[in-house]
Amino acid sequence: MIAPIYFLVLGSFKSVEEFFAAPFGLPAHFGLDNYRRAWTEASISTTIRNSAIVTFCSVVVSTVVSCLASYSIARLPLRGSLFWRLLFVGGLIVPVQLIMVAIFIIMRWIGLLGTLGSLILVYSTFGIPLGVLVLVGFFQALPKELTEAATLDGATDFQTFMRIVMPLSLAPILTVVILNGVWMWNDFFIPLVLSTRPNVETLPLGILNFFGVYSTEWGLIFASVVLSALPVVALYLLMTRRFIAGMTAGSVKG
Amino acid sequence: MKAIRRPRPQVWFLLPAAALYGAFFILPTLASYWLALYDWSGLGPIGSFIGLGNFKRVFQDAEFRSAALHNVWIFLALALMTNTLTLFLAILLDRKSWLRGPYRAIIFLPYVLSPVVTGFIFEILLSPNIGVVNPGLEAVGLGSLQHEWLADPSTALWAIVIALAWQWNALATVIFMAGLQNVPPEMKEAAVTDGATTWKVFRHVTLPYLAPAFTVVNVLLAIFAFRAFDLVYVIGGAIGAPNGATLVMGTVIYGNAFGKGSYVDTTRMSYAMAEGIVLFLVLGIIAAILLVYLARRERRVY
Repeated sequence: MIAPIYFLVLGSFKSVEEFFAAPFGLPAHFGLDNYRRAWTEASISTTIRNSAIVTFCSVVVSTVVSCLASYSIARLPLRGSLFWRLLFVGGLIVPVQLIMVAIFIIMRWIGLLGTLGSLILVYSTFGIPLGVLVLVGFFQALPKELTEAATLDGATDFQTFMRIVMPLSLAPILTVVILNGVWMWNDFFIPLVLSTRPNVETLPLGILNFFGVYSTEWGLIFASVVLSALPVVALYLLMTRRFIAGMTAGSVKG
Repeated sequence: MKAIRRPRPQVWFLLPAAALYGAFFILPTLASYWLALYDWSGLGPIGSFIGLGNFKRVFQDAEFRSAALHNVWIFLALALMTNTLTLFLAILLDRKSWLRGPYRAIIFLPYVLSPVVTGFIFEILLSPNIGVVNPGLEAVGLGSLQHEWLADPSTALWAIVIALAWQWNALATVIFMAGLQNVPPEMKEAAVTDGATTWKVFRHVTLPYLAPAFTVVNVLLAIFAFRAFDLVYVIGGAIGAPNGATLVMGTVIYGNAFGKGSYVDTTRMSYAMAEGIVLFLVLGIIAAILLVYLARRERRVY
């Protein structure tokens, strides 16, 4: 399981000659040359910023709108709440390859093609099905007395939601943030379609394009691949339990 | 009191999500079904209405059929591995030990790596220049098996299956392990006291309790195998290098919609949408069949 990752990390420190001389061996020294060059030559400094902006904004937007919608579906007297729930959650099974063709046409039509904004809009939308799936289930399980007491005291629905429900919901919200955030950070298909200009490429797409250009500078490519995986892996190692619980919960229901 | 008709608060709660979802999910989905009925490259004015013409062509398209067959092979190969090796691995890891936590963390790691990273790792491992698989074979005396794995059409698809297996195994193991937590230890102990062999305990105690996990794993696997795109695209590209040997439905659709990466590309967006709809229907039918079959099996074993 772990051997491929071992070779990847080892390779990121090697020079081109060392790859041929000792495929299994350790590099001569653990310098950061490859990393320094990858940062500038693979334009990781640009793509990592784009990825951070897109992931951050999309996670925030999709989580906020999912929380609001899930609360109205689960707890407010919303007409057709089952319909809305199925409509949102049904999005989990539609193939992205199909829908992205039409999204490309729509983005070209409204002039957002090749902007970070188009990526944020699409990721925010595609994050909703999972958010609704996890959060509606959680909100329904909250005891009714909590919200009823607040309403009797004269709180509006929004105040009840912000002051009573949100503070109790941090765990499922974190699950949604992790699941969607990791997917948005790692995904390259949506930018492959929508990032028609190099300065709006995200990290995975930038690295994919870099393979083609520098196909023999292996150490450099290894280093850029390690850099791209580092944030998610670090987060994963810090919060392994929550990751695994969230991933299995999300997939078991999905 | 309620004389003035204003939208009630629950509508305001729903509105932001409904607006985003309507504009960038429902609208494009409906547009796909509508545009798939036309003959349109994706550029210029929308072409002529041809009804189900695109769909007729999809079923006669040799490239799409061979790609669909590759999806089937991927599904069958991974199903075989999942229901034997992965299950075995999960049972091994289920034993009580302080190593269980760390093991589980390592097993699941491939699932949080991006497809670009995973695809790249396997391209490198199998590379004829700097890979470690060929030198590895040499070192254990199997030098005659050395091979240009990704350049040979007869092995390239299987190399991709191995990369997909590495990623898929992570999720499947963790779901099986979660299922094993549902087996009551008293039941196992009782069986052992009654003189059941390890195999019999597994067959008559553990396996029945795992039935729901089997359902989840195999339905998710169908979705994983038939929607495969990312990893396949990283390794084989939109042309399914070498020579179409690694095309799957997802990459064929992408290639038809956005071009295959050469300068003389023509796009066929309407046709790609028809292919996408066919993929959606195929996946829906397979998932439904699996779900019905496995749910029945669940009831039988309980």
